[in-house]
Amino acid sequence: MSFVRRNRVVIVSGTLLLLSLVLLSKYSRVENADPIAGAVLEVMRPLQVAASAAVDAATGIWGGYIALVGVRRENERLQHRIAELEQQLIRTSELRAMERRLDQLLEFGTAFQLRAEAAQIIGRDPLPWSGTVTINKGSGDGVVKDAAVVARSGVVGKTIATSSHSARVQLITDHNSGIDAIIQRSRARGIVKGGVDGRLVMKYLDREDSVIPGDLVVTSGLAGVFPKGIPIGEVVRVWSDSRGLMQEAEVIAVVPLNRVEEVLVLKAAPLPTGMEPG
Amino acid sequence: MKAVILFSLLAVAALLLQTTVLPQALAGSASPDLLLIVCVYLALRRHSVGGALGAFGLGYLQDAFSGSVIGLNAFGMSLVYAVIYLTSRRLWVENTISRVVAVFLASLVKTSAILVVVAVFMSVEGLGSTFFSYVLADALLAAALSPAVFAVLSRTQLLTVTEEA
Repeated sequence: MSFVRRNRVVIVSGTLLLLSLVLLSKYSRVENADPIAGAVLEVMRPLQVAASAAVDAATGIWGGYIALVGVRRENERLQHRIAELEQQLIRTSELRAMERRLDQLLEFGTAFQLRAEAAQIIGRDPLPWSGTVTINKGSGDGVVKDAAVVARSGVVGKTIATSSHSARVQLITDHNSGIDAIIQRSRARGIVKGGVDGRLVMKYLDREDSVIPGDLVVTSGLAGVFPKGIPIGEVVRVWSDSRGLMQEAEVIAVVPLNRVEEVLVLKAAPLPTGMEPG
Repeated sequence: MKAVILFSLLAVAALLLQTTVLPQALAGSASPDLLLIVCVYLALRRHSVGGALGAFGLGYLQDAFSGSVIGLNAFGMSLVYAVIYLTSRRLWVENTISRVVAVFLASLVKTSAILVVVAVFMSVEGLGSTFFSYVLADALLAAALSPAVFAVLSRTQLLTVTEEA
């Protein structure tokens, strides 16, 4: 009994390690099915929105205000006025920039005949090898699991979990991500997979297919998540796989995933070309 | 009880910093694991069942939020707690340098454990290259930030002790 009491921390730690492995073995087969995870996402959302807004405000102040400190010393009264105007200008230009980005997003949606919901990224994955982000739209806004998420220049990822007012998006660079894709020029088909190092590799390309650096990779539309023809990335390197039966290509994403701020979540399957959204 | 609430709030604040402020500040180049520093602090200062449960909770919180498989970080954090706890029972880990070294090693232990578990439970390619490209940078960053985080945590602990006295 005294042994147990003396080593109770070690025993509890060992038990928790075993519990972790049990959870791992359960949830590695059923992706993100944990109800507590959904609750955490929902609880953290307002905090993340506030923190994101604070960071944006601080970034704006740094860019527009702090940079003018040297000039302000020359004429404090005038500089104070300038600073006020700068703040207003920053807010206005930030709003204009956001409006422009949203317009471009909506144009993108219209061009591809998509019914979509614009959303903002409010949080990023705390782990370097797992590429997910949190957006400020959830099931209450019509966002469902496995919905395609795009930016104005191309594919961002897909939703993997939703709560009422937020959703988690798996980026195309995440190691669990795989998208059915084609080379736009030669129509060669393959799967674009993410990796733990954040790189994209297009796999299972037939060795006879023509693939060269500079080729644009687009979605094939076959897997049912992404509409056909949305840009994914550009081929930068091509090589044969270890057995020489297939080709593989390194792809650079067209969307700057580290910097993207607004995205479109596709709410339903794309409409056939020529049909008006209903 | 006050200590539990305060540490929970600190853990949430650390997670917020880790997911919103730091990715923008560091432009996605590296990501210091603030919750790991809290876990090391618990392992050094809270030699109790509550400390072990707290470490597991930190990992679970990270799992719930990161989109990775549930249990992955819970396993890593529990292992870090056990290793640092057992080490601190035998070695003097009380000055700033030894704590910085402890956080650096804890980061390596956690990531190595997670990579091994990922390799066993999931089929992921390119793990070897990731280890060197990400792990060392993140471990160094976490170690560099640890004195500041430890100072905040010590102050919190002092606050609870004062209030409870």
